[in-house]
Amino acid sequence: MSDGLEFLTVEPASDPAARKEIVDLLARCGLDYEKHIEFFVTARQEGKLVACAGFEKGIIKDVAICQTLRGSSISLRLVSEVTYLAHSQGYQILFVYTEPHNADFFLGCGFYPLVEVPGQTALLENTPVGIKNYCASLAKLRIEADKIGCVVANANPFTLGHLYLIEEAARSCDWLHLFIVKEDASLFSYHDRFQLAKEMTKDIANLTLHEGSKYMVSRATFPAYFFKDKGMVGQCRTAVDLLLFRKYIAPALGVTHRFVGTEPFCDTTRKYNNDMKFWLQEPSAVAHPIEVVELERTKRSGIAVSASHVRHLLAAGNFEKIKEFVPQPTFDLIMKKYANSI
Amino acid sequence: MQIIQEALAGTLESSDLFVRVSPSEGALELILNSEVQNQFGDQIKKVVEATLAKLGVSEGATVIIEDKGALDCVIEARVEAALLRAAGDKSVDWESMS
Repeated sequence: MSDGLEFLTVEPASDPAARKEIVDLLARCGLDYEKHIEFFVTARQEGKLVACAGFEKGIIKDVAICQTLRGSSISLRLVSEVTYLAHSQGYQILFVYTEPHNADFFLGCGFYPLVEVPGQTALLENTPVGIKNYCASLAKLRIEADKIGCVVANANPFTLGHLYLIEEAARSCDWLHLFIVKEDASLFSYHDRFQLAKEMTKDIANLTLHEGSKYMVSRATFPAYFFKDKGMVGQCRTAVDLLLFRKYIAPALGVTHRFVGTEPFCDTTRKYNNDMKFWLQEPSAVAHPIEVVELERTKRSGIAVSASHVRHLLAAGNFEKIKEFVPQPTFDLIMKKYANSI
Repeated sequence: MQIIQEALAGTLESSDLFVRVSPSEGALELILNSEVQNQFGDQIKKVVEATLAKLGVSEGATVIIEDKGALDCVIEARVEAALLRAAGDKSVDWESMS
């Protein structure tokens, strides 16, 4: 190439020299190096690192271009290279978080806006039809009625608390849409979580069970959720996930109410519940408000039933106690598959 | 030709185009985004549609194009490459390429 740019993919974890250069470049551009990022596409000119773009599980992060090369075609090559890298790893849809004032940069590189939290962050995806097609598939399952409820659960694992919440929500609504978080980043696999939910809700006549998606409590929309055990609660960004729900998912299904259980233990989930009231109910021109209904957790032996508590009991090997908090199929699965994995 | 997997071709650089082909259910969907949409949008669409027809892709695919002002021959080559990759090797109709 006449501009003398050399593109190379590096894995910072195994290449300390490259990592140091990336950290320095990011620092000069006012960005923090995120140590979870597995791959960086780097561009060098005369041996010097002049641009980089990080890629981690479908999300582009830490994009930096040195001052002198901004506005040149390097950005387009950088994004092309990242797209091919992602493709080679099986990621077709890419997401990027950026400050809203930098969104234009990505709009010129084949990205399309999903949601914006004013003044803070914008989420974009690299297809003009991703969310549109997803909503079209949801709309096929739309039920027309006055009160349409929605529950989104990770159900890691499915407890009597989930059952109570779902039954109560279904009772108070004309129809209930239940989503199981799809991201496979929890102790219990998505397959197991979904199957248990299916088994436990099969007798509820006014309920549709949905697969989760990358547009809902996923690594892309709500990264902090999956790192909550690692003490990253402070950086929790819930607004993007909730605004996606309000702007796209709820209108597609005609959802009027979202149900959650009060959260006694987990700080991340508690913050999510509180933020939910703000981002779903606050009047906005973007989309109709959705009423948030917070139901008091059901209790057993004076303790609120929660999946995180069940996981603690599991870690401690306290199976007798677990029995009080989960339905039989969950207990059977724990004994069969998860009791020895801890 | 049947589209069985997602495939890419091209780049986002000036005078090139980025083509993304993915399998879908139902009708063929073509989404074109071009820097020169106003002047050449119709012409680009014509080239893409002719290439799709040549390779016998009439349904079951989504084709997304980010054009940065590529010439017709480049458009044809990139679309063709993306379609061939997306079809895997077996279903390629080599005769139509001659």
